[in-house]
Amino acid sequence: MSSQESAIILDRGYRSYDGPRTGRRGAMAAVVKEGYRRVLGLRRKAKRKLFPWTLIALALGSAGILVAVEWISSSLPVSLDTSELFPRYAGYFDFISNVALLFAAFTGPQLLVPDRTQGVLNIYFSRPLAVRDYLMAKGATFAAVILSFWLFPQLLLHLGYAALSPAGFLSYLGETTDILWKVPAAALVFFTMHSSLAFVAASFAKRVGTAAAGFIAVLVGLNLVALLFQEAGSAPGPRWTSLLALEQHPRYVRDWIFDLDASIAIPAQAGYGPEASLLMVIGVAVVSVAVVGWRYRRLT
Amino acid sequence: MTNGTTGPGVGDAPIIETRDLHKHFGDVQALAGVDLAVPPGITGLVGANGAGKTTLIRLLLGLTAPTSGHVAVFGTPVAKDAAGLRARIGYMPEGSCLPRDQTAADFVAYAAELAGIPSAEARRRASETLFLVGLHEERFRYLGDFSTGMQQRVKLAQSIVHDPRLVLLDEPASGLDPAGRDQMLEVIDRFHGFGMNVLFSSHLLDDIEQTCDWVVMLDGGRLIRSAPLDPPGDGTAVSVEVFGDPLPLVAALTARGIEVTHAGRIVTAVSASEEVFVSVRDALADSGSSVRGMGTDLRSLEDVFMAATKQANG
Repeated sequence: MSSQESAIILDRGYRSYDGPRTGRRGAMAAVVKEGYRRVLGLRRKAKRKLFPWTLIALALGSAGILVAVEWISSSLPVSLDTSELFPRYAGYFDFISNVALLFAAFTGPQLLVPDRTQGVLNIYFSRPLAVRDYLMAKGATFAAVILSFWLFPQLLLHLGYAALSPAGFLSYLGETTDILWKVPAAALVFFTMHSSLAFVAASFAKRVGTAAAGFIAVLVGLNLVALLFQEAGSAPGPRWTSLLALEQHPRYVRDWIFDLDASIAIPAQAGYGPEASLLMVIGVAVVSVAVVGWRYRRLT
Repeated sequence: MTNGTTGPGVGDAPIIETRDLHKHFGDVQALAGVDLAVPPGITGLVGANGAGKTTLIRLLLGLTAPTSGHVAVFGTPVAKDAAGLRARIGYMPEGSCLPRDQTAADFVAYAAELAGIPSAEARRRASETLFLVGLHEERFRYLGDFSTGMQQRVKLAQSIVHDPRLVLLDEPASGLDPAGRDQMLEVIDRFHGFGMNVLFSSHLLDDIEQTCDWVVMLDGGRLIRSAPLDPPGDGTAVSVEVFGDPLPLVAALTARGIEVTHAGRIVTAVSASEEVFVSVRDALADSGSSVRGMGTDLRSLEDVFMAATKQANG
């Protein structure tokens, strides 16, 4: 055996690094990328992919089904107005908002809870990353994930309808330009309310499941409280209690954006306009940012 | 790939400097007037629980601001550029700090990216660093499946993956069995050769003695010692058992500037200088003491720590 053949590597030592360093921006980009992987279960065990991808499949699949129904009905010999039978944009938005609520309930806590409870923040903040940078990066991840969740199925639906339109693809797109701002605007309102509350829950809960349950419980519970005050004729509460129905505000604003009848919304029944609901969404977001910021400053 | 053989290249300029450093948490005084100048190399940070070790580390990282005083790393005030400094500092926390759902390779690469290393380079460095700490084969396993010893190694790997000039290690051998501890200390011992300086906090004084060349001792937030740690101990002790009264010998040694303790008829003289033998001989002659027995022993770091604590507390 030659000396070369018998050579083995015992120690590779350590290689110094003189290349570029990306600083705070690079650190924030890394947090965003890793957050995306975490909420989608990428580079994780299979069971971690199950919940997010089931919801994604549900959102995309339902849009696909609506397009398929449109295609089948357009190929029938009799003319059928599917918009009467199946939801179009606003109706689909209503459906997707419920799925997105579940997705946000899972995603927000996934972004914050494990880092905090597993002590990983100690490593984050020993790098060139401030608390504010970390929270901004997590917020950006949340926005990207949730808005993608809202908008991709809607885009699929829109392009599908355009492709099947008797007027032609481009004509349909030209006639429905309002959708291009209405859907993102409504999605942004929902995202603002959901993400704010999900982050607050995630800042305090010790488990992802607890935070998700707390987030949904607050939304449903406050709705019930507001309804109780509204419905209990013998003990009518003050008018402002209808504003506690936090879950209703984005829906009320969405109906305003889509020009739909919103008279059954709890704040509407109390006589509030959609502007009040929009202000409530903004107010909840501002308070949530303050609470989460305070919580993380205390933690570190 | 190069295996550095030189030090950090900053000469004898202190890598860590504090002046009149105070830190209070409400009524609790965590650090009180700490004046410190730590030279390049591997430095041990010793102190009981609540001595201020973690507070000092957090101040060095700029994670908390001093109540008053000055703290600088590599000559740069931490208050001036904490984020810039943190890009060149590695930190291994004491407690649990690893995400259970990531693989070792992914997490260490992520830690490198957090310090500003571009993604592709971060992955390469993660692989190399995990090789260095002996986890190359296990790098694609999930951290939640790792043993305590393996987790400690991953923590160590993430602290050096971005080529820091200073590594802050908080109880790195905590929870390890003796063999794992020795392996950990062996790796740490090589850091200075890689161009890194190390501040190594530990309760285990044996670990400090084995690894460090400088020691900083804190007690109750006060600095009680910052001095070189000459292996294998900090000075030589000569114990003399005398017939009769030991006090004349104690006085004679004290007059020669020798640190003396005595218990019963056994007088122990301690000095960093090897001249202690000559001093003991002369003091015996001057005091007229009769020797019953005599021997040398080396002071352990624990003896030094206990003596320094005792002296600081009056």
